[in-house]
Amino acid sequence: MTGGDLAIELRGLRKTWRGAGWRGGGKVTVAVDGLDLDVRRGEVFGLLGPNGAGKTTTVEICEGLTVPDGGSVTVLGRRWGGGDDQALRQRLGVCLQESKFHEKATVRETLRLFASFYPGGRAIDEVLALVSLQEKADARQSALSGGQRQRLAVATALLGRPELLFLDEPTTGLDPQSRRQLWDVVRGFRRDGGTVVLTTHYMDEAQQLCDRVAIVDHGKVIALGTPVELIRSLGAEHCIDVDVEPGALGARVTAADLQALPGVQQCECDGARASLTVASVHRALPAMLELLAARGVPLRGLATRHATLEDVFVRLTGRHLRDEGAQ
Amino acid sequence: MNLRIVRAIAAVTLREFWRSPDAVFWTYGFPLLMAVVLGYAFHGQAPEPLPVAVVDGPAAEALAERLRGSERLRVEVLPAEAADRALARGRVALLLRGDAAAPVLRNDPSRPDAELARLLAERELRPPAERAPPIAVEVEDRPGSRYIDWLIPGLIGLNLLGAGMWGIGFNLVHLRTQRLLRRLIVTPMRPREFLLGFLLGRGILVVPEATVIALFGVLLWGVPFRGSVLAFALLVLVGGFAFMGLGCLLAARPRTIEAIAGLTNLCQLPMWLLGGVFFSNERFDGWLAGLVEAVPLTHVNRALRDVMLEPAGVADVLLPLGLLAAFGGLCFALAVRWFRWT
Repeated sequence: MTGGDLAIELRGLRKTWRGAGWRGGGKVTVAVDGLDLDVRRGEVFGLLGPNGAGKTTTVEICEGLTVPDGGSVTVLGRRWGGGDDQALRQRLGVCLQESKFHEKATVRETLRLFASFYPGGRAIDEVLALVSLQEKADARQSALSGGQRQRLAVATALLGRPELLFLDEPTTGLDPQSRRQLWDVVRGFRRDGGTVVLTTHYMDEAQQLCDRVAIVDHGKVIALGTPVELIRSLGAEHCIDVDVEPGALGARVTAADLQALPGVQQCECDGARASLTVASVHRALPAMLELLAARGVPLRGLATRHATLEDVFVRLTGRHLRDEGAQ
Repeated sequence: MNLRIVRAIAAVTLREFWRSPDAVFWTYGFPLLMAVVLGYAFHGQAPEPLPVAVVDGPAAEALAERLRGSERLRVEVLPAEAADRALARGRVALLLRGDAAAPVLRNDPSRPDAELARLLAERELRPPAERAPPIAVEVEDRPGSRYIDWLIPGLIGLNLLGAGMWGIGFNLVHLRTQRLLRRLIVTPMRPREFLLGFLLGRGILVVPEATVIALFGVLLWGVPFRGSVLAFALLVLVGGFAFMGLGCLLAARPRTIEAIAGLTNLCQLPMWLLGGVFFSNERFDGWLAGLVEAVPLTHVNRALRDVMLEPAGVADVLLPLGLLAAFGGLCFALAVRWFRWT
């Protein structure tokens, strides 16, 4: 692949933060730890990982907001600090994590401000229609719901007809309807030939929206591919979730027992719940039910589902994406 | 420099201010209120008599009676202990004991009124033959020479200072803590375009603000306006720019409201004391006089007084205008260089 096909090229990216304040003083956190990444033009690329994995730092380095300690960053064929950052910024659209705007300004006034930064950008009404905020055009920032604020943030990012759009956790805290609306905006942008880099800790969002996903943990890429490829790498595309009475797992039935059943690839036990990743449900399920009945463990709940990126993450790290411990 | 961007930033900044009733009050209402209250407090009254105490004793009443001959003294007879305490607390400027022929006087000469009270008391206690021939005294109450005339230009200077330090410095740090600056800097907008626009959006307000205080002084207390209106307008704009530049510079790095509040107070306190707002700074000498000249507020206030109380024109205030513009420009340039956006 030639450099011209790449929207972003990261090599050996490193960034450490030194804690601020009395107690954090001098404490060093490695946010990005030798990260390599290529984002192709025209794709929706997802950075998936738990909080604190280094997703936001990586994206902010790409946006030119944070200076890396080491490694190289090429964005749309250019490097930051090369003397013409402004020209590069003209080609980027940015939606930061929880970005705020002037509280007393209306939606239209906010967009007018951002429009002044992008000569030849989109018309304000066009952008309002893109994010379905026409009815809120004259409402002040303080009168908007979380979803509306987020759509306004995306609208400011779309004003300049960017080639590359950064969305940092665009749907965190939104209701399902607002999320779907934002997903439609992203899909529309990609249809028109734009490139999107988005970070999320929602696996369904990554699965639905992204052409390719990089799973990031502790500042490194630990898996990379299309969502389908990543799930297929589990060697099994289905999961069985079983709920039993507390204390039964590990005593009367162990994870090793479950893992030994026919068709089972992997088993994760968590208190009164076991999650089995299986290649074929029709072989694993009867065998499991037989085993539980033989050991006298009554079922409390049973569900089968397709494997997700979450299962990939659990397989790779032994933790869940939204584990508090991952923070 | 893209003027379209500067204008857009200025517009949103100005609108943000107008839509905050509390900000409008503290910018316009409060300084006006202060001008009115201070104006009334210092507006051409006879000075209050000075309190003195006579220690109770056999000859105390006779001594007190002699002192009451001066209308500038308010005399009370107190037991010894109470008199001591009154002197220590500054409730009386002077303490006397003994009899009128050979009294003992006690005061702390470093207190402002103590020496005046001593002179007044001594004059009353002299035998009539030794008193000086009567001297005709004229009260200076012609417009232009009263304390209120001197105070109003100082209050205008003080407002320019506040507008720059709080209006600019505080609000910039607020925008930083709100993470709004981060969002703006990832656009093609340049730092100097933002800072200049912000300065204009807030700076435009200093003109009506200064005008309103000046009008109050002129209409309410007959403070004269003898110089050039153009020179006044230029001084307000350039003086305002100097303090706003300083506000930008102070706000360049701090990440918390507490830090900018501390820095602002650190800068403002010496200016309040040395800038010649409430009391004259023209009589300091030595290193303190040097410090007075180094404070920008001194030059703003001096030039404003020249323009209001004397018939000064633009040519007369060119030097302070130049100094203030250079100071503001330097602060602004350093602020653009050091400004932290995240």
